[in-house]
Order: sequence, then structure tokens, then C-alpha cells
Amino acid sequence: MIEHLSAEQISQWMMGERTPQLEEHVAECPECRSELEQLETALVQFRSAVRAAGHSASPPVWRATASHGPWFSWPRLVLAAAALLILVALPLTWRARVQERAAEAALADSQLLERVDSAVSQAVPEPMEPLVNLVTWNASPAEKNQKVQRQ
Amino acid sequence: MAAAITSSRELDDFEAVVRLHWLKVFRFALASLRDRHAAETLAQDCFFRAYKARNGFRGEASIGTWLMQIAVNLVRDHARDRRLQFWKRARLTAVDMNTAARWLPDAGASPEAAASMKEQVQAVWDAAGSLSERQRTVFLLRFVEDMDLLEIAAATGLKEGTVKAHLARALQAVRERVKGTK
Repeated sequence: MIEHLSAEQISQWMMGERTPQLEEHVAECPECRSELEQLETALVQFRSAVRAAGHSASPPVWRATASHGPWFSWPRLVLAAAALLILVALPLTWRARVQERAAEAALADSQLLERVDSAVSQAVPEPMEPLVNLVTWNASPAEKNQKVQRQ
Repeated sequence: MAAAITSSRELDDFEAVVRLHWLKVFRFALASLRDRHAAETLAQDCFFRAYKARNGFRGEASIGTWLMQIAVNLVRDHARDRRLQFWKRARLTAVDMNTAARWLPDAGASPEAAASMKEQVQAVWDAAGSLSERQRTVFLLRFVEDMDLLEIAAATGLKEGTVKAHLARALQAVRERVKGTK
């Protein structure tokens, strides 16, 4: 009784690893030859079918316009420089504006403080100043009488 | 070295690279994912990634093998992405793509022979569908794309011996199905 090819030997054959012993057996054994032919035919038909399915799809138009050339280009460099300028200028402008506002606030504060100081440093409140003219705080009682008589 | 320089220069005209290799990447994706829309998206993603990485291409493998390496990784990621599982199932039921026999070109065979061929193609298609993702990838690269074992090893990142083992298991599964069509 002829021993047919094992599953491993059939796989080996299909992978193209055909030893002289395998070839000899296939040449002599119609059953194994028939099975291999059937498997080969099925695989060839399968390949044709999948390839036919693939052919129904057309490749997309490749649009890599921005990168057909090198990454460096003058318009791109100008845009990058402008973006960089804006990035640098914006914080500087903002910082100058903040400093200006701080200076204005400091000036207003100092003016307010001056006004407060002058108000606090007055001995008599402004509405009572006319009364001060009527009174001499350091005079003796005799001098006070003379002043009243003169008036 | 000269081959590497040639390959790198080929990438300068990327439009030509897309034209030349699109079908190969697309049909591998189609046979792997079994969904035309997903296959188109994957193929586009593959070329987009290749374009972004073209400066890093050192020409150690051919451009075709390099592209297939990217496609294999994308197919693997797609299979692992559990978030897509529901949509994959939904799409398969919505679109009648789960048959390969109708893709078979009419070569003027007799009705009996044509029916037999379609049955065999469907058997291989079904068997491929039952394989693990890695076995299917190796099987498709070998028997649809005609890549040799070393090219498959380069594209999948597997050792040649591992490729052989996966291919042997895939062939056994296919053989069982094809035998059932007698």
C-alpha cells in the first residue's frame, strides 16, 4: 500500500520546497498528484478572484501639494517669520501697556496722598478757619481784653 | 547601497509610488478586512503614513515590501481595535462583500467548470476567514501577492521559520476546505 503525502509534506510542496523524494512520489502517485493539482488550481483561482476585486478600485489622486517640494520655501519662511514676529511683539506690547497703566495708577495714588497729607496737616478744619482769626490762642487775658476792645 | 539610493529616489515621486503600489495594498487590505470601505481607508492611511515616513526609508527592503509592512501593521491594529468590532459586524451584514466567488473573472469556462471553480474559490475564501489574523496575513502575502518567504518575514517582522509554520497551518486549513468541495 502506497503511503500518501502527509499534511506537512503537502504544505511543503505548496511552499515550493520540493525535494527529489517528494517529486518522485508525486510523479508516481495519481491521488496525491490530483490533490495537489486541485489545491493549486483553487489557490490560483482565489488569487485571480482577489486580484479582480482589487482592480475594480482605482487609486486616489495623490494631492500632497504642500510637500512635493522641499519643506523650505520662501512663502513658508515669510509666514513663519510673521507668526514669530506677532508672537514676540504681542507680549512686549502687552507688557508696555501694563507698565504704563501701573505708572498712571502710581501717579494718581501719590496725588491723592498729597491731598490727604495736606488735609490732615491742617490744625483747624477749613470751614472753621474764620473763627481762628477771632481767637489768639497764646495771648494773656489782658491782651485778649485789649483785642476785644479794639474790635 | 545603490539599490537603497534608487529606492529613496523613487519615493521623491510619491504620486508614481501610489499609482504603482495602490492595488497591491488595497487588495491585501480588502482580503484581510473583507470590507471595501475599510480597505480603501486603510490603503489611504498606509500611503499617508509612508509619505510622512519617507525620509526615514533606508532602502533595506523594496518599496513594495516596505509598504506592505505598513499595511500589515495597520491590518493588525484594525483587528485589535475592539471599538470597531460592532461596526465591522454591522458593515459585513449591510454590504454583500463576504463572497469571493463573484469576483472570479469569466474565462469562458463551461458552466460546470465555472461552478466548480467558484465553489473552490469560495472554499479558500472561507478557510482564509477562519484563520488567525497572522496566519491569514502570511497566507494572503504568499498566495495573493506572490511574495517569497523572506519578503513575508520582512513585511510581518516574523522570522522565516515562523512564517513557514503559519503558512503550513494556513495551507492545512485551506486544504481541508478545498477537499470538501469534491
